Amino acid sequence: MSALEKFQRLGTTRSGPRRKRDNKAAYLFLLPWFAGLTVITAGPVVASFVLGFTDYNLIQAPEFNGLENVNRMLSDERLHRALGVTFLYVFVSVPLQLAAALGLAMLLDRGLRGLAFYRSAFYLPSLLGSSVAIAVLWRQIFGAEGLLNQVLDVVGITGRGWISDPDTALSTLIVLNVWTFGAPMVIFLAGLRQIPAMYYEAAAVDGANRWTQFRRITLPLLSPIIFFNLVLQIIHAFQSFTQAFVVSGGTGGPSDSTLFYTLYLYQRGFNNFDMGYASALAWLLLLIIAAFTAVNFWAAKRWVFYDD
Amino acid sequence: MHAGTTRRSVLSLAVGTAAAAALAACGDSGGDASDEISTDPVTLRFTWWGSDARHKRTQQVIDLFTKAHPNVTVKGEFKEWNGYWDSLATTVAANDAPDIIQMDELYLSSYAERGALLDLGTATKHLSTADFDAGALETGKVGGKQYAIPTGLAAYAIVANTDLLAEYKIALPDDSTWTWDDLKNLGAQVSRASGGKVHGIQSWGFDTGGVNIWARQAGATLYGDNGDVAIPPAVLAGFWQYLLDLAKQGIAPPPSVTVERAGAALDQSGSATNTAAFGTWWNTQLPSVAEASGQNLKLLRLPGEKAAAPAAYYKPSMFWSVSARSKHPAEAALLVNFLANTAEAGDILLTDRGVPANTKVRAAITPKLTAGDQAAAEYLAALKVGPPPRVTPKGASGIEAILKRHSEAVLFERQTPRQAAAAFIKELQAEIDAA
Amino acid sequence: MTDLQERAVPVSTAGDPRPPRVRVPAPLRSIVKHTGLSLLALIMLYPVIWMVVSSLRPNNEIFRSPGIVLDSLQVANYSDGWNALAAPFGHYLLNSAIVVLACIIGNLVSCSMAAYAFARLDFTGKKLFFATMLGTIMLPIHVIIVPQYILFSQLGWVNTFLPLIVPKLLATDAFFVFLMVQFIRGLPRELDEAARIDGAGHPRIFLRVILPLMLPALATTTIFTFIWTWNDFFSQLIYLTDPEMYTVPVALRSFVDSTVATSWGSMFAMSVVSLLPVFLAFLIGQRYLIKGIATTGIK
Repeated sequence: MSALEKFQRLGTTRSGPRRKRDNKAAYLFLLPWFAGLTVITAGPVVASFVLGFTDYNLIQAPEFNGLENVNRMLSDERLHRALGVTFLYVFVSVPLQLAAALGLAMLLDRGLRGLAFYRSAFYLPSLLGSSVAIAVLWRQIFGAEGLLNQVLDVVGITGRGWISDPDTALSTLIVLNVWTFGAPMVIFLAGLRQIPAMYYEAAAVDGANRWTQFRRITLPLLSPIIFFNLVLQIIHAFQSFTQAFVVSGGTGGPSDSTLFYTLYLYQRGFNNFDMGYASALAWLLLLIIAAFTAVNFWAAKRWVFYDD
Repeated sequence: MHAGTTRRSVLSLAVGTAAAAALAACGDSGGDASDEISTDPVTLRFTWWGSDARHKRTQQVIDLFTKAHPNVTVKGEFKEWNGYWDSLATTVAANDAPDIIQMDELYLSSYAERGALLDLGTATKHLSTADFDAGALETGKVGGKQYAIPTGLAAYAIVANTDLLAEYKIALPDDSTWTWDDLKNLGAQVSRASGGKVHGIQSWGFDTGGVNIWARQAGATLYGDNGDVAIPPAVLAGFWQYLLDLAKQGIAPPPSVTVERAGAALDQSGSATNTAAFGTWWNTQLPSVAEASGQNLKLLRLPGEKAAAPAAYYKPSMFWSVSARSKHPAEAALLVNFLANTAEAGDILLTDRGVPANTKVRAAITPKLTAGDQAAAEYLAALKVGPPPRVTPKGASGIEAILKRHSEAVLFERQTPRQAAAAFIKELQAEIDAA
Repeated sequence: MTDLQERAVPVSTAGDPRPPRVRVPAPLRSIVKHTGLSLLALIMLYPVIWMVVSSLRPNNEIFRSPGIVLDSLQVANYSDGWNALAAPFGHYLLNSAIVVLACIIGNLVSCSMAAYAFARLDFTGKKLFFATMLGTIMLPIHVIIVPQYILFSQLGWVNTFLPLIVPKLLATDAFFVFLMVQFIRGLPRELDEAARIDGAGHPRIFLRVILPLMLPALATTTIFTFIWTWNDFFSQLIYLTDPEMYTVPVALRSFVDSTVATSWGSMFAMSVVSLLPVFLAFLIGQRYLIKGIATTGIK
């Protein structure tokens, strides 16, 4: 058999009654990824796992302390606080952000005058990223003398310092997250563009209205992308760090009301020279995120539609 | 099979990394601080935090130094405060720390006691400390060894806005005799006269200066000599009660405004935006606050000071220190000497890193200072001070975050001052014990 | 912005397959929609506008004068900010551009290859590898950074762009691998089948069939890599020690130190300057975003 034929046979995934494996081609395509995994990712990941069982202050050599770090987690009140804050944040901000992103993507996908302008306007906030300017900007809106209070003042309501009040600080961060819905919106837009036009043409011929088209065509065909955004936004929200760091100056304040999990982990590791415990905390977070992701993948079998 | 090789290489890498971490932790320096200065090319890395103005000044000093020592190249690495400490911790962990390290009082013990800093007592051949005030030098010692040289000194002060006081026809208090009640009354008058537009006092409780002074006025200290938390709960509760009263009586802004400003930059504070008549600051911050405010500001001594036993103290604004693993400790010490002891460097740095702790340099630069800097220097010179407080113990580098959190809890009335005092002491002590 | 609107309309209407609805009179619907969208756009943009206005204000007025009405113009903030640090700001822009460009190429090539394997090929250990890939983005960077720094410093890569670029060349950004997997899985299988019947092997199917069809995903990857790398602060802060090597986010932070006064005017001015390239990248990129399968006309 010639090399060419061999190569062609690699590609016959679905031709036989049983799928043939494409190991060679697959590993070839995955070569850069394998190299990255083994050379760059694996070492530090495993090292962080090992450090999770040590007392490591970054300056002196790590010392094994068995399950001491796990014990500490059980009685660490600030950790429990951080878990509460993070779960609340994930459960509220992810659905809100995704709904906003999908809704606007649908709206902006259609032949609308000024489309490019709106798309850019809605995306612009996401460009600011973790810029230091964010902290200052956010205060201009939600601060005691910010825009929101000025507006409320006109209607006769006395506002408060939304960012610095422990009762409302987390809500402003949720708003901040929703405000940067640009990223998932762009992914939705790209996904919408992949839906073949013929489906809609056929549906229109059949007299289906917009809502039916949305339910029967858009949702199922967009479901891989919705699923992607859901999985990634959950992972992302669990790891939320920068915005809380920038807005609270790294403290998670006021009164730990915005103490995100990773912010606490960072404080332990870098501010308190407690990298062993921080590593253990990181692996607990990994377990939590992995559990959520696994549930997501399991549930996906029921609602995500692939064309393969 | 692929999976097998993968697993093996992963393991070897992990072991390698862990070994590197261990190696990094006990790596040894290549030279001795008492060696002769090399004539071969030497590269020093010098790191500091600050903003653009400091970066420019420091680079000028570096240029002067390398002109005098052409075989030495100095690479300046500047960062802002938060990034600086992340970066420093990472480089120290990897045995890749810069040679000359700008150090803060909060972190000095944490690095020195764990062996990351060079005992500068071994570098006296190149680094003189003769012109330093003994009390100031003392602040750079940990366990009797001189790990750091103070760059400059600062003292806690009340900044009063004299324009605002004049506007509301309130006389400037006599700061040699005033009490905390006087401050409260004056503040109340301002709040009343302005109709809420301006508050009397900008609340504090977010830095260690306020707590230290409060404790010392009560005859206590924040830390005992052994490095344990020593402030009595009742004293600390009194501190928070005072701040809570200010907020509740409208003398200070509502808690959310106070907390917001405490977390914001200096320019957004009540003193800088002329919305508070009195505020606590380090004296060296006066020029910056005055520039942002645009009005006339004056430094006052803190209330409640007793001439016989002053609670005020000189805080080292920052330090110079040298990495224990520097390959060129002698040359590094020489650069620190240049920074700390020469008039050339002093002329450029002025009071950017505090009023110079070196008395000769201080005298030399005083005539060259701006009005604001001079006022700050005069305040420092005239102040009666007690012995400096113990350096922040190892493990307590996070004290300001803990303090801030409890101040917030008190202001928002989630904890009573007593509860906060007990919780604060317990948490801080636990950090010290764990380190 | 008018230029934008005019350019965009033909592109998007050409690709719009859906017939307009007829129940509500079209002009009214359009007015309501535009009012709503404009209002939303204004809210979204307010902080950005405030930032631009602040970049034109004298330093000590930024926090004293509220709102976005500009009463005096301080253009000097731009020249001051440009020259405030060790090197002119253009130097940092150039450094960032180098890193960003290399990262984009790295992500596009390596992630699309990995994604093709995960989406279209059947191989031993696929599920395990896929889970591993996802798992690698679940650990927060703050515990990875120290061992990783040790690794890179052993390799002598600290203070070069390599620690920022090489990982992207090796598909370590699982976000994009997963994104592309989802896009490829959304493409009809019949397309590969047809190519295969014509005798194409995997490299050819990948290059000739899949890649052109996932243009929106590639555009998304490009835009996101650009923005995220451009804004990424932590790893650039840690790995770039020499100010000569500083990138935009690291340089921008050098303006702000919480312990002393900040040149806010310069900081905002340079923030605006550094926002321009990402915004331009988005404007250009979004035109490819909307050229999906729907517009290329493949059925």
